[in-house]
Amino acid sequence: MLKRMFNQYWSPYLVMAVAGVLSALYFGITKTVWAVTGEFTRLGGHILEWFGVDISGWAYFKLIHMEGTTFTRTDGWIVWGMFIGALLMVLLGNNFKIRMPRQKRRWVQGLIGGFIAGFGARMALGCNLAAFFTGVPQFSLHSWIFIVATAIGTFGGAKIVGTSWWKGKPVLQKGNTAKIVKERAKIQPYIGMVLAVGYAALIIYFYAAGKNMLGTAALFGALFGILIERGQICFTSAFRDLWISGRATMTKAITLGMAVSSVVTLIIILVGGMDPVTKMAAPSTLIGGLLFGVGIVMAGGCETGMMYRLMEGQVVFLPVFIGNIAGATVLAYGWDHLGIYNALVKMGKPINLITELGAAWALILTLVLLAAGFIVAVFWQKNYRFGVGFKKGETKHVH
Amino acid sequence: MSIDYTLDLRGESCPYPVIYTLETLQGMKKGELLQVIADCPAAFRNVPEEVVKHGYTLEKEPMKNGKELLFFIRA
Repeated sequence: MLKRMFNQYWSPYLVMAVAGVLSALYFGITKTVWAVTGEFTRLGGHILEWFGVDISGWAYFKLIHMEGTTFTRTDGWIVWGMFIGALLMVLLGNNFKIRMPRQKRRWVQGLIGGFIAGFGARMALGCNLAAFFTGVPQFSLHSWIFIVATAIGTFGGAKIVGTSWWKGKPVLQKGNTAKIVKERAKIQPYIGMVLAVGYAALIIYFYAAGKNMLGTAALFGALFGILIERGQICFTSAFRDLWISGRATMTKAITLGMAVSSVVTLIIILVGGMDPVTKMAAPSTLIGGLLFGVGIVMAGGCETGMMYRLMEGQVVFLPVFIGNIAGATVLAYGWDHLGIYNALVKMGKPINLITELGAAWALILTLVLLAAGFIVAVFWQKNYRFGVGFKKGETKHVH
Repeated sequence: MSIDYTLDLRGESCPYPVIYTLETLQGMKKGELLQVIADCPAAFRNVPEEVVKHGYTLEKEPMKNGKELLFFIRA
């Protein structure tokens, strides 16, 4: 049982359904949604403050609130909790390894992709979480615009990474060149257990000290981190793999998770008499989504996937993380200083499907759209093939 | 079991393991055997899935080699 939990990856469908329920509960408890890039932007703001930059006048930082430090904010603990939860799973599974990219170009590609993705996500006021996985269940129209734009963006991204100058060349040799390694004594699981106990103590401390919201964020953050690592959840692959080889596993799993989350969230909204979190739907949502789609494919992961990959020791995601924060910070600068808000955001408005259509129709429409997406994904997986797309016939052999 | 080619994908992250594997298989003669060395956890899942979907066969169960995984694919 324990072996199964840590040595095998979990079903992405189960993982996304559980994440859907948990994210709805998290909203019910804290009135905020599971999100990460807002906090990345604040981290960028803090870095600027370190260097003595006065950001008190920047409109974007007023919008997302810079109060406190990352350790006194729920959004902060969601981020650190995710890192720690993912790291826990990697260690318990004895799976940490520094994975160095062989091709130097990957470092630059990660940085550029991360920058574009960070910039785009914040322009749209959310990444694959707040403008996607936790945006749809809030019935916020902006997330649908963002999803469509991201899909288009990833198509462009897939075209770019498919070019030979971007893709590079693998190491292909004749014969058998694999060296069989002897398994050494496992120490990672013990480090993992110590970390787990330490983190549990921190969560207990938060509750004992009356910081209930921080405790909840730290707990849910870790749970989200555990889930995305164990399910190898990748929002980038949900779109990109459709364009490349017709793989739709993630597409289907994420769609299912959003459907589950939509139902649970609506119950929580109605029973608790809560207001759904609705974000601005504007031209910036569309442009931000396009940029985000291109960026995540170039980077090889979005703001969420990057987190657990980094914990697995895939160091190429370090420049992606730096790029994400830099891109988000530049967007924050451009928001008022370069007139992004006036040009692309001001004319928009927050539109919520519940307010527009009523709760019942909002849910029905959401579920119908998700079901349609699921069916398209199934069809795509069956018929789309690497290199040939939808054309009939056997996969081509060059020889 | 004689291995014709070895594709070393260590250090490569998505989507390159899948792209490289399928491209290499397209360039091989039918019946030849490809060994793939991967260390990206996402590739542990998507490489075998995509290989089978594209009409190739896994010669035997993937073999765990420390923190790497070895795949044996018949073109």
